[in-house]
Amino acid sequence: MTALTEQIALASDTRSSRTKPSRGLDRAFHLAAVSSAMLVLLVLAGILGSIVYGGWPAFREFGFGFVTSSAWNVGTEQYGALVAVIGTLASAFLALLIGVPISIGIAVYLTQLCPGWARKPVAMTIELLASVPSIIYGMWGLFIFAPLFARYIQIPVSNVVEGLPIVGTILYARVPSGVGVLTAGIILAIMIVPFVASITRDMLDQIPTVLRESAYGIGCTTWEVVRHVLVPQASVSIIGAIMLGLGRALGETMAVTFVVGNANRLSASIFDPSSTIASRIANEFNEADGMQLNALMALGCLLFVITFIVLIIARLLTRRAKVA
Amino acid sequence: MSPTSTLSSQLTSRNPADETAPVRIAVKDLNFYYGQFHGLKNVNLNFHDRQVTALIGPSGCGKSTLLRTFNRIYSLYPEQRATGQILLDGQNVLDPKIDLNELRARVGMVFQKPTPFPMSIYDNVAFGLRLYERLPKSELDGRVEDALRKSALWDEVKDKLKQAGTGLSGGQQQRLCIARSVAQRPEVILFDEPTSALDPISTGRIEELIEQLRNEFTIVIVTHNMQQAARISQFTAFMYLGELIEFAPTTKMFMNPEKRQTQDYITGRFG
Amino acid sequence: MDAQNPILAPAPAGAPSLRANRVRPGRRVADKILITASTAATMLGILVLGSILLMLIVEGVKGFSPLLFTQPTPGPGTEGGGIANAIVGSMVLTFLGIVIATPVGLMAGTFLAEYGRGSKLADVIRFLNDILLSAPSILIGLFVYTLMVRPMGSYSGWAGGVALAIIATPVIVRTTEDMLRLVPSQMREAGAALGAPPSHVIKTITWRAASAGIVTGIILALARIAGETAPLLFTALNNNNWFNANLLGGIPNLPVMIYQFALSPYSNWQGLAWSGALLITITILALSVIARIVVKDQRAR
Repeated sequence: MTALTEQIALASDTRSSRTKPSRGLDRAFHLAAVSSAMLVLLVLAGILGSIVYGGWPAFREFGFGFVTSSAWNVGTEQYGALVAVIGTLASAFLALLIGVPISIGIAVYLTQLCPGWARKPVAMTIELLASVPSIIYGMWGLFIFAPLFARYIQIPVSNVVEGLPIVGTILYARVPSGVGVLTAGIILAIMIVPFVASITRDMLDQIPTVLRESAYGIGCTTWEVVRHVLVPQASVSIIGAIMLGLGRALGETMAVTFVVGNANRLSASIFDPSSTIASRIANEFNEADGMQLNALMALGCLLFVITFIVLIIARLLTRRAKVA
Repeated sequence: MSPTSTLSSQLTSRNPADETAPVRIAVKDLNFYYGQFHGLKNVNLNFHDRQVTALIGPSGCGKSTLLRTFNRIYSLYPEQRATGQILLDGQNVLDPKIDLNELRARVGMVFQKPTPFPMSIYDNVAFGLRLYERLPKSELDGRVEDALRKSALWDEVKDKLKQAGTGLSGGQQQRLCIARSVAQRPEVILFDEPTSALDPISTGRIEELIEQLRNEFTIVIVTHNMQQAARISQFTAFMYLGELIEFAPTTKMFMNPEKRQTQDYITGRFG
Repeated sequence: MDAQNPILAPAPAGAPSLRANRVRPGRRVADKILITASTAATMLGILVLGSILLMLIVEGVKGFSPLLFTQPTPGPGTEGGGIANAIVGSMVLTFLGIVIATPVGLMAGTFLAEYGRGSKLADVIRFLNDILLSAPSILIGLFVYTLMVRPMGSYSGWAGGVALAIIATPVIVRTTEDMLRLVPSQMREAGAALGAPPSHVIKTITWRAASAGIVTGIILALARIAGETAPLLFTALNNNNWFNANLLGGIPNLPVMIYQFALSPYSNWQGLAWSGALLITITILALSVIARIVVKDQRAR
């Protein structure tokens, strides 16, 4: 027993010699983590605050008419957002129309059809498309794609549809230069494909193999498996992925600036040049002054509102899918 | 109804319980909650110095929960809380004012799966030492070697102390984790099913090791394996649905349990 | 492909009529169309990437010479000159951006994964970080213009660096959090059980366990900001000379240089734009490939 008490005494001796790690450092670390996280909040608030602040004079001057007016005249100081808003929505819509089927096709190919050895290199190639800078897409679109597009699509199509009702308006190029809303939509489609395709692929991969195999097991074709089993299972998250792509298409700047034509003209033809919010800001901001600057900031506000609504919906959809 | 012969054959001569040994940990009216769920109900129990006490019982009976109160590791999770008293050498562990980090240096813990840190074998063992003691290099080396020897790992790793701890086999990793605890010279070491992820040979070595460690440390071990409890412990506590059903010297527990539920459980006629 | 498609497998003998009944031609046509279309879509993707690379190499290699890396950008329509100032400027801006973004992103990601589990605040920040991750970069340019360029009275490398940092941070936050979440909670418990305070467990154990993933995040962020153009238009702008050491005034940089030169009517400028485009694309693709290799290493372990 005495030996034991000694032992305990010894133990408490070593205990008292223990130096405690600094509590202050621990607190400081925690504080640094919290404040870094708060910084994210602050930046987002700052973005909104700065463009609302900058755009306010324009909203006050033109009121709701700012959104409905198609004027953009530096000389007379008349500004309206309509052309840019329509250009933004139209090019993004076209991008989805073209890009979504391609993305789903790629995702289906990668998950269902691709032979095993090719899966990784092909997936990597598609993902690398996402890291090409947007300015490079702009150059490719303007110097490579637009001339081919003008010669092989715009001119023949314009010749065919000339004079026809409706299509004769939508698909007629007054000046077949290759640039315009449709070209912007196509370039945007290429840019969103890697994002939508890789999210869709992940979603399809997450579907239990058992489900897939049992569908094949009762004699379904690949098409039927995709159409009736895979797509319904992953539909919510695929829509989320599409919305994410839409968010990107709406706010994309450089590539669009190269190929949209930068005209402030309201035209019913998707072959005609136009502007988007982002391209107009990129083009004019550095030389802008006074009310023009405010009007550009106000355009930024509209872009903020549109993209953030889209992105919030996208995140909510992809999030719910993860929980389920 | 006598307990199965396989169990009694495990009750070797090496575990005479020393009921006169001083009490290291005294648990008094312990209640534990996971949010709304009442995980432990009025547990009262003593753990004797330098004895191995095994906690047994079916899954979800609260044996791991009980173990996790002794070093308050549960307080990493805000929704978990405990009431009552746990006296470690007379000091209440559940006292909110207690320094948790110091407590955990005094009460070591070894987990179900080996948890080597992503650093060298040497740094793994020295991890806890460096936290609390500023030792000169030579003394640190000595303490690391000492801990590895006590954990029966020294001969296997002495030539590769600078290599990553994650490169060892499962059994070696677990002994490394034991060395990491031992190096801190704690008073109590808690084992949470330490062999459930290991093969029989590694399990045997860990059991031998626990037997040796008993000479220096008070040991509490959670196990779902009754043979293991019979082989290595001096005392056994049987828990069921968050309650302590029976606590007795291991020999008595397995040969002649007092409670019906205990008997049913150890003879495998449960539920 | 047959193996994946039981329909095409030979039907049991004696049941040919049954087989013909079940597999209506329509089903096969739909299947064939799907297979063809999705293969074509994938080919199209590969074709576009190939065509972009081909364009860059054909046009960009023409201008490659030692002068490119030693001379600053020349005046319009003159002989010689390079893009050395833009290369160095881009490196400075990207470096500034990543140096600011790394600590902030790492700490914010750590908060989300380690301290903020289950807290409302963390949920909100995680959500907004995801939004910021895909926010239009031009809006970030407008923000930094208002925040720094206007009050300071001039374009500057500092503003450019901050704008790039705002783009890089959410990427690092996201990957850091994801990677820290992969670290098993037993690892944290084991650290805490040795008496290590939370910050020590994070710094010496969880960060280390997730290090490869976190580095990947930083490389991805680097790849993302190295080619960003829009936010630099209003912050760092561009400049055809060497820049001031204090980074005030326009800072030459590759993306804006490419934008301005490619759309200019001068052939020497256009040539330089192509060379710059080749350089920047190769760099970014290399970074992306490296990031993937680092991740593979982590998974292999």
